Amino acid sequence: MEAGTVVARPGPYAEAVHPGTTPRTGILKWLLTSDHKLIGTMYIWLAFFFFAIAGAFAMVMRTQLAAPGLHVLRPEVYNQIMSLHGTFMVFFFTIPIMAGIANYVVPIQIGARDMAFPRLNAVSFWLLVPAGSLMLASLFLQGGAAAAGWTSYPPLTNRQYSPGPGVDLWILGLHLAGASSILGGINFVVTILNLRAPGMKMFKMPMFCWTVLVTQTIILIATPILAGALTMALTDRMFGTGFFQAVAGGDPVLWQHLFWFYSHPAVYIMVLPGMGMISQILPAFSGKHLFGYKGMVLATAGIGFIGFLVWGHHMFATGIDYRLRQFFSFASMVIAVPTGIKIWSWLATIWGGSLRFRTPMLFALGFIALFIIGGITGIWLALVPFDVQVHDTYFVVAHLHYVLFGGSLMAIMAGIYYWLPKISGKLYNEFWGKVHFWLTFIGMNLTFMPMHMMGMLGMPRRIYTYRPEFAIWNHIASAGAAVLGVGMTIFALNMLLSLWRGRRAPADPWNHSDETRTLEWTVSSPPPAENFHTIPVIR
Amino acid sequence: MKNGRAWALLLMVGLGIAAAALIASPAGAWLLHPATPVAREVRTLFYKAVAVTAFFFILAEGLLLIAVLRFRAKPGVPAATWHENFKLEIVWTAIPAIAMVILSGPAFTTMKYMETTPKSELQIEVVGHQWFWEYRYPKYGVIFANEALVVPFGKIISANVTSIDVVHSWFVPDFGIKMDANPGRINHVWFQVDHPGTYKGQCAELCGVLHGQMFITVNVVTPEEFERWIEQKKKGA
Repeated sequence: MEAGTVVARPGPYAEAVHPGTTPRTGILKWLLTSDHKLIGTMYIWLAFFFFAIAGAFAMVMRTQLAAPGLHVLRPEVYNQIMSLHGTFMVFFFTIPIMAGIANYVVPIQIGARDMAFPRLNAVSFWLLVPAGSLMLASLFLQGGAAAAGWTSYPPLTNRQYSPGPGVDLWILGLHLAGASSILGGINFVVTILNLRAPGMKMFKMPMFCWTVLVTQTIILIATPILAGALTMALTDRMFGTGFFQAVAGGDPVLWQHLFWFYSHPAVYIMVLPGMGMISQILPAFSGKHLFGYKGMVLATAGIGFIGFLVWGHHMFATGIDYRLRQFFSFASMVIAVPTGIKIWSWLATIWGGSLRFRTPMLFALGFIALFIIGGITGIWLALVPFDVQVHDTYFVVAHLHYVLFGGSLMAIMAGIYYWLPKISGKLYNEFWGKVHFWLTFIGMNLTFMPMHMMGMLGMPRRIYTYRPEFAIWNHIASAGAAVLGVGMTIFALNMLLSLWRGRRAPADPWNHSDETRTLEWTVSSPPPAENFHTIPVIR
Repeated sequence: MKNGRAWALLLMVGLGIAAAALIASPAGAWLLHPATPVAREVRTLFYKAVAVTAFFFILAEGLLLIAVLRFRAKPGVPAATWHENFKLEIVWTAIPAIAMVILSGPAFTTMKYMETTPKSELQIEVVGHQWFWEYRYPKYGVIFANEALVVPFGKIISANVTSIDVVHSWFVPDFGIKMDANPGRINHVWFQVDHPGTYKGQCAELCGVLHGQMFITVNVVTPEEFERWIEQKKKGA
């Protein structure tokens, strides 16, 4: 993707950075910015802030569960911590950080000066600040935070069973985060469809841009459904409308349909951009083209589409109709096909390559190794009778962490290690990056592999303590969590140290081969204001 | 970590742990001792699923490992340049698709089996409360809560499951049963326990503060013992 002859073309926001105006400095530079690079950076910081909190929640939970009958947390506090862990990891870490990295990288990769709607972009980001803060603050209010899991099934969330303001703030927080997502979705789709540099045809776009395009389209279709459901839950609580209350003629199961109609596609919202990052990092460190580019694009779109047809597989034990379960079961199994295409194509990408095991590459390879496991257990869970057996047990917790930790988080780490020198202009310590990888990979398996066994034995999820027969597996899981905690601390220190006194990063610190060098590696690290002096033309 | 081999070895160890754990997972009690025909069917289905997916698991992780070991960058050895192979792509799309269709057969058969209640010999009602279970035997007019459910072994028992307040889920792993208890809805399950004994379970749907303490105990007894027990219960013992 080399830039060919260049044409001079003044950027639409040129006046902000060109002679005659003074660029803002200090805090105002961040508060008032509409620059996609600054906004993307703030997204990443904010997401990692919430990640640290949600990760700390996980550590507290694993402490409580280290042995049966512990009293680290009271049951009601455990439920709040558990609910906020899930909610924050999904809505305030994984989804925003994907948006943050995409915000930074996508405009440069397609050869644009900024997002299509820079001010809207700032709105998207700033909505997340009150969203997460309100939800977090609810921990300290009377009655505490929402305690019904990240799924918040009514009637447990109705006023009768959750009288405090926690659920209201949870709803408000998700509403704001949802609005942020929707606005961001519009922005990304318009940007990718309209702001590509001359010659950057759709099928020349880097794979990451494709996955962002599909992801943001999913967001645009799915998130309004969540917003509707949240509003119904709110009016149930505030005005007694009874949408989800059987006594008022409503139905709690309706919430489950609406919630999962959003939240299953949300899994792909969280993992597809990660797959896009992997699809760039593997070629970059193999010195080879991505294998089967068009097949990968189709697989991405296929996963996005089928992702809307499988929400019912979260409800196999709910008592929904037999034929519905049959449909959802088969549709869920079908997802294995495009997912398989991706796995095989990645393997073919590194096959015959010239592999350089730098930190981003380690995380990318770790992603593949772990995602395969999550994919396989996903197929098992699509089989209704097996799903019913392990539904709502730790087996599902294990599965979802192999997908969202082994998948999304490993990809995010790969992406951060890959693009951080571009974003900060600083290099990090490679040795500690590798230590972080190994602690994460080993700790991850130690933590989540035993959860398969807990689930097989019949240990339900979301319980604050457990029967003694599950103890051995929980000991191992808690030990694994400690390893993860150490790894993440090393990660934080390594990154902060690199920002403070890392060596200067050149334009292309990874020495991409010509076939794998995307546009962001052709400009300085960090890129100049408006990214390009002249818009590149793609041959 | 200069040497690719060392870390590939570690990767192998990691995957080995993963595989061993997956293989060891049948240590799950219901897998070793399924107590009902349904649980046995679920186990058979699980083994079939493992058999079908193990091939892809081993193939994918194996190729990953081999690639990592074989294709480490070496000076003077350039990377290959191929990046397309239409036939290969068709193959790796079609074979998993066929495997999924094959796997759906036994899955749907088992599902149908679970779904179709044979002629019931004892009807019970299971009602979830925050945070205990209420059991009713309509034929005998017996209602009680917060103690073990008692059923005779060998008999086909059908249960209507519902809730009085929030969503609960009646879950007895050895029976192969998990059914949500939804307020305002009645769900049906059936089971036929092979042997007398005490079977444990607990609520599987988050239902509030003491969700973790909402246990289920099922005492499975001989039909004679059951008759004696229910007579006592009718007298209000």
